[in-house]
Amino acid sequence: MNGDTTKKSTPYTVPIGPVHPALKEPVMFTFQMEGEVVRSVDFAPGNTHRGIEWMGMRRNPVQIVHLTDRICGICGIVHSLSFARAVEQIAEIEVPPRADYIRTILHELERMQSHILWAGVAAHELGFDSLLFLAWRVREQSMDLIENLTGNRVNYGIVQIGGVRRDISDDQRPVIEQGLAYYRGLLDQMKTVFLDDSTIRMRCRGHGLLSYRDAQLLCAVGPTARASGVAMDIRHDYPYCAYGDFDVHPVLPPQEFGGPMGDVYDRIIVRLLEIAQSIDIIQQCLDNLPAGEILWEKKLPKLLSILKKAQGEAIGRVEAPRGECMHYVRMDGNEAPATWKVKASSYSNLMSWIPMLKGEQLADVPIIVASIDPCMSCTDRVTIIRNGSAADLTKEELTRLSREKTRRLSRC
Amino acid sequence: MVRLPMMPELLRQLFKKPATNAFPARYLPPSVTKFLQKVAQGEAVINPPVPVPPGFRGKITYDRESCIGCQLCLKVCPAHAIEFLPTTKRVRIYVAQCVFCSQCNDICPKDCLHMTPEFLLACEDRFAESQIVE
Amino acid sequence: MLTDLIGTVAGAILVGVFGILVALFLMGVDRIVTARMQARIGPPLSQPLTDIRKLFMKENVVPANAIPWLFNLAPVVALASAITILLYIPVGGFAPVLSGGGDLVLVMYLLTLPALALVAGGFSSGSPYATVGAQREMVTMIAYEFPLAIVIITIAWKLAVSGIPLPFMLASVQANPVWGLVGPLGIIGVLILFFVLLIVIPAELSRIPFDTPEAETELAGGVLVEYSGKNLALFTLTQGVKTVVMASLVVALFIPYRLSALLPAPVILQPVLDLLFYLVLVVLVAFVAVSLIRVSMARFRINQVVSVYWIYLSLIGIAGLLLVMADHFLRVV
Repeated sequence: MNGDTTKKSTPYTVPIGPVHPALKEPVMFTFQMEGEVVRSVDFAPGNTHRGIEWMGMRRNPVQIVHLTDRICGICGIVHSLSFARAVEQIAEIEVPPRADYIRTILHELERMQSHILWAGVAAHELGFDSLLFLAWRVREQSMDLIENLTGNRVNYGIVQIGGVRRDISDDQRPVIEQGLAYYRGLLDQMKTVFLDDSTIRMRCRGHGLLSYRDAQLLCAVGPTARASGVAMDIRHDYPYCAYGDFDVHPVLPPQEFGGPMGDVYDRIIVRLLEIAQSIDIIQQCLDNLPAGEILWEKKLPKLLSILKKAQGEAIGRVEAPRGECMHYVRMDGNEAPATWKVKASSYSNLMSWIPMLKGEQLADVPIIVASIDPCMSCTDRVTIIRNGSAADLTKEELTRLSREKTRRLSRC
Repeated sequence: MVRLPMMPELLRQLFKKPATNAFPARYLPPSVTKFLQKVAQGEAVINPPVPVPPGFRGKITYDRESCIGCQLCLKVCPAHAIEFLPTTKRVRIYVAQCVFCSQCNDICPKDCLHMTPEFLLACEDRFAESQIVE
Repeated sequence: MLTDLIGTVAGAILVGVFGILVALFLMGVDRIVTARMQARIGPPLSQPLTDIRKLFMKENVVPANAIPWLFNLAPVVALASAITILLYIPVGGFAPVLSGGGDLVLVMYLLTLPALALVAGGFSSGSPYATVGAQREMVTMIAYEFPLAIVIITIAWKLAVSGIPLPFMLASVQANPVWGLVGPLGIIGVLILFFVLLIVIPAELSRIPFDTPEAETELAGGVLVEYSGKNLALFTLTQGVKTVVMASLVVALFIPYRLSALLPAPVILQPVLDLLFYLVLVVLVAFVAVSLIRVSMARFRINQVVSVYWIYLSLIGIAGLLLVMADHFLRVV
C-alpha cells in the first residue's frame, strides 16, 4: 500500500537550502534519499555570518548592548540580558531588585511571543496556514505589550548595564494584566487547535525522535532537550534576575500525553505549556514588584568611565526561548572588550538534527528542521573563506585553530 | 475519530471582521507613490496605521539651539549615526543609520535630542532631506 | 453534417472560454473566502486574472537540463485536456456539447490526462524537486482513482437497475436525479458517496491536505518548481478549469436540478436562471471541497494520502455502495 516505498530506486541527492521555503533562515542541507526516505543527512551552517562580534570589539559596552539586540530578531532581551549580566559581573555592578523584576517580566513576554511565533511557523511547515495566521494574530497582543513597555516591537533597547532603561508605571500595570488575561483565556483554545487536531497528530507523533541519551550526548538545550525528558532549565538550575524568588521548574511533556517521547509533538506540548508557565511568572513578578531604582548608575558618562576601568572575564547565561544562551566577555581596562563571544542556543541544538532526520520521510523534513526552532543568524559566528569561496575545515585544523585562540586569549 | 478543531473556528471567522489593518489602502494601489500624491491632493483617503503607544521611539528630533557640542551622544551611539561638524560645533544625525535606541537622548546633558512617534521613514535615497536631521 | 461540425466547434470554443472564465471566478472566490476564514481581507476578485496576465508577460524559462519539447508541451496538453472534459460534462445548466459521444467512464479516463501531463512536465524539468513531485503526483493519482470509480459505478448501477437506458451517459444521470430513485437507506448511502466525491476533489486538484506533489514547504512547488511565465500560467489555468470540471461533475452527479423547473419564469430568462443556479452550486461545492478542507487541515504525508484513499475512503465508499444495494434489493423484495 505504500506506493512510494515499493518503488525501488537508487539513492539520490536532494539538496535543501541555503534558500528554500522550508527554511526560514539560510542553512544548507544535503539529503541522501532512497525513495521518500532520508538515508543520511549533512548540513552546513555559516551562510549568515555578519561579523557582529567584530563590530562589538570596536565599541564600548553601552553601545554593544544595543548591538546584541540585533543578534536575533526575536530574542532581543535574551542576548542583551546575557551580555549585560556578563559585564555586570566583571564590573561588580549590583542590579537593583526592581530592575531584575522588570527584566524578568520582559524576558517572559519575549518567551511567550517567541513560542507563539514558533507555533505559527510549525503550522506553516505542516501546510496548515490557518493556524499560522491564528497564531500570529494572537501573538500581536504580546508584541503590543512589549511595544508599550519598551517603546519598540522588536529591538527593544530596554536593557542597560546595571538595570533597565524604562520603568513600569502604574498606568501600564492594567495593560499587562489585560494582556495576561487575554492569553489565559486563549491557552485552552491554543491547546485544542494544536493538540486535538488529528492531522497535526498524524504528522508529528512519533516523528523527529530524539532520545534522552542523544539529547544528552549532543548537548541539546531548551525545549528540544526538555521534550526528550532532560530536565534542564537555566532559570531553575542557575537562577538569575528574579527567578530565584519563584518556583520555576523545567517543563517536561506530561504523562497524560504519553510522557516524554522526544518527538515533534512533544516539542509542541513543551512550548505550549511554557507559555502558561510564562504567564504565571509574569503575574508573580507583577504582584511582588519591589519599589526602588531601576538603574545602578543613572548617569551614563559615569557608567562609561566605570566600565572603562573594569577588568576581568565573565560568562552571562540566560534561558532563551530556544534554550541556553551564553555570552563570554573579557575586559582589560579599555573602552571596548578584549573578547566577546556569543553562543546562541541554536548552536547547541543544531547537531540534534542528524539523529532526528535519519529514517524520516522527505515530507517531514521541514517540520523536523523547524521543531528545534533554529535561529541561524544568531548561531553563525564563523564563516570560512579560502581563495574567495567557502571552504571546510578538517577536525585537526579546527582543533589547532581553537587552541591557538585560547592561548591568545589567556595571554591577554 | 477524526478531529478538526479548527474547522468550526474558521467557519465562525468567515462571518467576522478580518483582523487586517488596511493600511495604506484596502488593496495595494498600482503605485504607492501616486497614491500618496493623490492623498496629498485630497483625492484619496489613507487608512491610518495602527496607533503607536506613548513612549514610542520613532524619528529623532534635534534642538540645534540648545546643543553645546559636547559630543557625548557620539560616544554612545551604537550605529555611528551621529556625525560631529567641527565648523559649527553641532551634530548631524543620519536617520537611515539610526537604530532608534534613544541612548543619545539619555546621555544628552542639555536634553536637546528627542524621539518622535513618526515611523513612516522609508525612502529610496538615504541622504534625502527627510533622512538627515541637523 | 457540416452545420453539426460548425456547431460543435463553436460550442467547444464557447465552453472553453466559459470554462476559463468560471475557473478564474472560482479561483478568485476561493482566495477571498480562504482569506476571510483566516481573518485576512484577501485579494480582489479579479486577482487570478491579474496573476495570469502577469505570468503571460513574464519570461518563459526552460532549465538547461530539461527536455524542452516535452517541458513546453505538457502545459498545453494539460489545459487542452481539462477543457476537453468540460465538453462532456453539463455546464451552466446546458447539455454537454459532445453529449452524443462520451460517458462517465470516458470522463474518468480524461480526468487523468491533465495529471499525466503534469507528471510528464515534472519529469522533463530535470530538477530533483520536480522528480519527487512527479512521483508523488503519480501515487496520488493511483490513490484517488479507486474511490472515484466506486462513486461513479454505484450511481450508474443504480440508474441501470432502475431501468434507465444508457446509465453511464451524463445526460441520463442529469435527467434522473439519483435521490429520487432510492429509499431512505439508499439516501444515506448516496450521502456517503457524495462525501467521498467531495474528499476526492482536493487530491484531484492537488490542494491541501493532498497537495503533496506541490508541497510548497517541502518541495518548493514540486512538479511546478521549474515552470515560469506562460507555461506556469497554463498550468494555473488547468488547475482552475479542473476545479470547474470537478465541481460540475459533483453538480451533475448529485445535484442535477434546474431552477427553471421549480420556478415559473419566462422562457428567455430560463437559461439565465439555470446558469445562476449552476454558478451558486459550483461555488458551494468548491467552497466545501476546496476552500474549507484546504484551510482546516495540515498536509498529509504521501503514504498517508495513499492510506486515506485506499483504506478509509474506499471502505466508506464501499459502505455507501452496499447501502444503495441493500436499499434496492430490500425495496424490490
